[in-house]
Amino acid sequence: MNFELSEEQKLIQESVARFIQENYDLEQRKQISAKDPGFSRDYWQTMAELGWLALPFAEADGGFGGNQIDVMVVMEQFGKGLVLEPYLASIVMGGGAFKRGASAALKAEILPGVIDGSKQLTLAYAEVQARFDLHDVTTTARADGDRYVINGSKSMVLHAATASHIVVSARTSGGQIDENGISLFLVDADAEGVSRENFPTVDGLRASEVTFKDVSVTSDRLLGEPDAGFAILNAAANDAILALAAEAVGAMEVLYKDTVAYTQERVQFDHPLADFQVLQHRMVDMFMEYEQCKSMLYRATLEAVQGDAQAAQRTIHALKHIVGKYGIFIGENAVQLHGGMGMTEELRIGHYFKRMLVIDSQFGNADYHLQRFAA
Amino acid sequence: MDIELSPEDLAFREEVRQFFAENAYKPGEDYAKWRLDWFAKARERGGWDVPKWPKAFGGPGWTPAQHYIWEQETARATLPWDMPFGVGMVAPIIMGYGNKEQQERFLPDIRARTVNWCQGYSEPGAGSDLASLKTKAVLSEDGSHYLVNGQKIWTTAAHIADWMFCLTRTDDSGRKQEGITFLLFPMKQEGIEVKPIITLGGAHSVNTVYLTDVKVPVENRIGEEGKGWTYAKGLLQHERTGLAGLSRSLVALEGLKEKARSVTRGNGTLMDDPGYRAKLAELEIDLMAAEYTELRSLASAQAGAAPGPESSILKLKGTEIQQRIQKLTVEAAGIHAAAWGGRPAGPGFARAGMAGYLASRAYTIYGGASEVQKDVIAKNVLGIKRSSR
Repeated sequence: MNFELSEEQKLIQESVARFIQENYDLEQRKQISAKDPGFSRDYWQTMAELGWLALPFAEADGGFGGNQIDVMVVMEQFGKGLVLEPYLASIVMGGGAFKRGASAALKAEILPGVIDGSKQLTLAYAEVQARFDLHDVTTTARADGDRYVINGSKSMVLHAATASHIVVSARTSGGQIDENGISLFLVDADAEGVSRENFPTVDGLRASEVTFKDVSVTSDRLLGEPDAGFAILNAAANDAILALAAEAVGAMEVLYKDTVAYTQERVQFDHPLADFQVLQHRMVDMFMEYEQCKSMLYRATLEAVQGDAQAAQRTIHALKHIVGKYGIFIGENAVQLHGGMGMTEELRIGHYFKRMLVIDSQFGNADYHLQRFAA
Repeated sequence: MDIELSPEDLAFREEVRQFFAENAYKPGEDYAKWRLDWFAKARERGGWDVPKWPKAFGGPGWTPAQHYIWEQETARATLPWDMPFGVGMVAPIIMGYGNKEQQERFLPDIRARTVNWCQGYSEPGAGSDLASLKTKAVLSEDGSHYLVNGQKIWTTAAHIADWMFCLTRTDDSGRKQEGITFLLFPMKQEGIEVKPIITLGGAHSVNTVYLTDVKVPVENRIGEEGKGWTYAKGLLQHERTGLAGLSRSLVALEGLKEKARSVTRGNGTLMDDPGYRAKLAELEIDLMAAEYTELRSLASAQAGAAPGPESSILKLKGTEIQQRIQKLTVEAAGIHAAAWGGRPAGPGFARAGMAGYLASRAYTIYGGASEVQKDVIAKNVLGIKRSSR
């Protein structure tokens, strides 16, 4: 039993931390985020060259053969800089579903590009009426000879504007909320019938509403067995929750540490704010919940890699619950303790806080996962 | 990163389970005899009667993983009654700061559980601010003994204790942390009066102790005169890390779920109440996280590193979790938790649930109130230096 990173993981951690240090101060981030595509293609290329995009893919597919622990190491550092590049969308979400369902031939066609950064994936799973349920799917895929024809709309598709391929969940049988009958397809983002309305999100990232109108794909683009896509979708969502939680833990660390530093500098009533016990105790609460989230992140990630699948699923619900709940708690209090300055875009606090809000709502918020945990 | 127990640890767990099973109390047995025998047998295993003692003093020298396994297993087994004051509290101080003579004189009885101890720390004017204590110890002119005068309060088990370890003031000219002296003396002697304090749950476990001209031979002083605060501070740290009780909380939570399932509500049980269920789930999630906080802390101890920042939160989180379990037990009993006389009403756990809940309010007060813990974390972990205020 140990929580030490391997030598390899430590090297990755150092290399990502250095990258953030050199390339992700607030001004740099603001400039990148302000104009389309909302991230830096140069940075994306650097990430590919440093091998980070290869991490969770099998060695046989040209990947690094890593697991969720390796992704956690990267994402926690990304959280400290609020990285804008589509790592989550392409490598964890789209890539997570794709690698579990694609045939060897399809992998050979797509993955080299994903790993070298020339191709970009995303996962179109959310529908407006579904709230947080992955299995509430009205988008349809109708078999038509050796092809499928997809119709429907997907919402809040992360980084769809720059994606070369979209993994989409569609119903091939069953009723609207059945887990059975969902199939996953890989669709070219510029295929006929695919239309994207792109917009920024409140945390400075990019998303799209994507409509599929009579989009025809060959059956070799089906990921996994027909009607059996839900298990793959859920596994990719679990990977995404772990990655988001790691990012959140990195961001929480910045939020509480910046607050501790700021309250020691800011003088009011002839005292640094940190002199006041009521503020000290608030910051201790922020620190404690950060440590608790970090502990749960380790637990959920280790169980996902080593543990029993049912227990691991339950711990993932627990993780998403506390990361959502305490992430917002830490963010709100960081803003509060920074006073008026916390309300401005000039300090990083507000940007990290906004990211916390979005992370809570991605793949089910704190309440949703509490109910799933208790079920 | 790795959460699997090694084959050696798994074998150790099996050994511990077997020991508990073989030596469990059998109904009808003489309890007092079984208790002392149990500790003697645990000792034969190589120091299992004093798991936390260093090897040099007869402890088992376990790895942190073995300690963790022991704690998990003890939470599920019924161990003989034991008090923390001897083996857990005064013994480490005698080992660390007492002389060889004192070690030979006190440690064997402490270990055998034949002598009970109590802790003379808090005073009416010195609670969270313990260093303000005023109980006076004056050295006789010939230097042979101290005369102790003062009052101690909240003294757990003083009424059944044979000895007290006591913080006294021998000098009040300097900082209040200086001039404190650590003395040991027997409870059954002239000048000591013990008065019970009945707490909210109706239990008598704490007392007021009046000390009037209590004569303490100078051989009963631990370490140097005036250095008692340094010795006691080490012990307080020790006390704090031992109070999280997470393994016990895990077992208690299982029990709580069973209780909730036994309470009917409409066509179902309390477990079908979404509000109650959500509170239980939130509690369980916080406990799951705290378990890993403890494991992280253990793992860094195993690696020989200084305790990381995560260790500091365990007492706070652990006691809060214990209180929430007690509170949900009272909630589960509903109105029946109000029945307080000899005639119980409603679920069988109702009265004990209320008593347990009321007693649990002390968890965040003793051993350093939660607010004091937060002051300590702000200073030592967050590094906030308070300017003079």
